[in-house]
Amino acid sequence: MARIARAGIRFVILSVAGIVLVAVFIVVKSYSRARPSQPIEYNHKVHIENAGLNCLDCHVHAGDNVAATFPSLEVCRNCHNAEPVSKSAEELKVLKYVAEQKEIPWNQVYQVPDHVYFSHRRHVTVGKLECSVCHGDMKQQTAPVSVPYLAVTMDNCIKCHRERKITNDCLACHR
Amino acid sequence: MPKWAMVFDLDKCTGCGACMAACKMENNVAIVDPEEAQAGRALFWMDMINAHEGEYPTVAIKRMPKPCFHCDNPPCTKVCPVRATYLNEDGLVAQIYHRCIGCRYCMAACPFTAKVFNWWDPRWLEGATTCFNPDVSLRMAGVVEKCSFCAHRLHHVNEVARVDDRALQDGEFMPACAENCPADAIYFGDLENKDSQVYKLSRSYRVSRVMEDLGVEPKVYYLARRTA
Ligand code: HEC
Ligand code: HEC
Ligand code: HEC
Ligand code: HEC
Ligand code: HEC
Repeated sequence: MARIARAGIRFVILSVAGIVLVAVFIVVKSYSRARPSQPIEYNHKVHIENAGLNCLDCHVHAGDNVAATFPSLEVCRNCHNAEPVSKSAEELKVLKYVAEQKEIPWNQVYQVPDHVYFSHRRHVTVGKLECSVCHGDMKQQTAPVSVPYLAVTMDNCIKCHRERKITNDCLACHR
Repeated sequence: MPKWAMVFDLDKCTGCGACMAACKMENNVAIVDPEEAQAGRALFWMDMINAHEGEYPTVAIKRMPKPCFHCDNPPCTKVCPVRATYLNEDGLVAQIYHRCIGCRYCMAACPFTAKVFNWWDPRWLEGATTCFNPDVSLRMAGVVEKCSFCAHRLHHVNEVARVDDRALQDGEFMPACAENCPADAIYFGDLENKDSQVYKLSRSYRVSRVMEDLGVEPKVYYLARRTA
């Protein structure tokens, strides 16, 4: 009797441990997938609040082109050249890129596949949409974006288009 | 709503094939092995029909460029089980590659053999992979594709017109073939716009359409003074 009970307990403990292990593995795995490491822990908040920059100072084509684009090193160099302006170790990395004149290889989080046409100009300039509708409150963002605020799925595109009576013709988005 | 249409002036066309080349480049149309192409698996969105008449030494060669006719009463869309191909409000016969299941019913239904099937994942000449047109997606094995009247260019011109808050002008939306024809034999425009050049040409006494008796209402017109 006691032996059977002990075997039962061992079985329970082993299977619980197994489940926990699998769960930890899945969480770690999805976390590392959801968070593409950026070369620098960039901080939106300090640049908008302390340095007084606007979205369009860095994402220069968000209003007049298809892609919003990431800022080139040229933009960072305006303020980060010889002397550090903060005590952050991350800033030293920026200075290293500036000294080596190497573009910072940013990773894109929001991305439509190649068979979809999405234009910032159409939504920002013509549609008069705030960036926050799709990207959330970037002014308060202290770490690089890891998960999209509004997931880039066809459902999300179509939902807003339906609400605002914009075309949902497949050919308007697909190419 | 516009109704996009194309006119070929066969009296001006020299059959040089510049339209075919421009189309291949513009739309990232894959290259097929010569043997497979011989077996009828070549991929062309803009094809060229060849015929000759007479005996040597007085042979007359006839060449006729043939894109998708974007029929107003398209037979291909009626047989698509998944609505991957359909007639949109602009009069374009759309082909949504990711929706396509590769059944090829539409190819069988098209009287003009305008549609082609991707038997393999696309293959390219060496070096060609660096110069894809980013405005057109690459198709994968197992889907049907065809001439789109360069619908990706419509995204761009529509948006520019919208930014300027004006209507599209005649000639603003031009497919690559029409733009590149050295003989200016290809016209493109909106049939609903009575001032457009294609509207006027579509009323010419020289005009004809391929297999008009089928009633599929192609939106590609051919002009020729010469007969047959
Ligand atoms: C000083 C320059 C700068 C300013 C100002 C700035 N950004 Fe950024 N932004 C960046 C950099 C660098 C990245 C890449 C690192 C990251 O993801 O944080 C980025 C990333 C992003 C991303 C993520 C894009 C992706 O797909 O990875 C969004 C969205 C974004 N910014 C929106 C905004 C908005 C909205 C504003 C204005 C409220 C703004 N940014 C202001 C420099 C800036
Ligand atoms: C208008 C000037 C200006 C520009 C342009 C600018 N920065 Fe900064 N940056 C600052 C200032 C000011 C600070 C210090 C903020 C503070 O600590 O109060 C700072 C701080 C930083 C820090 C340290 C932040 C932290 O974690 O505390 C990093 C990293 C950084 N910047 C990266 C960049 C990058 C990358 C670019 C180019 C895309 C850039 N900056 C463009 C002014 C600028
Ligand atoms: C209607 C939703 C929407 C709005 C509004 C919007 N974006 Fe985006 N944004 C997207 C989508 C979708 C992508 C992915 C685009 C792609 O892959 O080409 C994206 C991508 C980006 C990126 C990544 C890099 C790139 O080149 O595209 C940045 C940076 C960005 N947006 C900034 C902004 C800024 C700044 C604004 C406000 C001026 C803004 N966005 C407004 C939906 C939006
Ligand atoms: C928050 C709302 C919103 C979201 C989300 C959104 N859109 Fe839009 N979209 C608009 C508005 C508003 C317009 C109309 C702009 C105008 O007035 O021309 C528009 C217009 C368009 C057009 C032009 C339509 C035409 O008439 O030709 C395309 C293409 C488009 N959006 C693609 C997308 C794609 C792809 C996504 C998803 C990645 C997306 N949109 C997500 C609001 C949205
Ligand atoms: C408002 C823009 C929009 C419209 C309209 C739209 N789509 Fe999409 N579609 C998208 C976006 C964005 C994606 C990519 C989503 C993703 O990657 O998760 C997509 C993805 C798809 C996919 C999946 C591709 C894959 O690889 O899984 C199919 C299939 C598709 N669309 C078919 C259609 C059809 C059919 C229609 C017309 C009835 C249509 N779409 C209309 C924006 C749109």
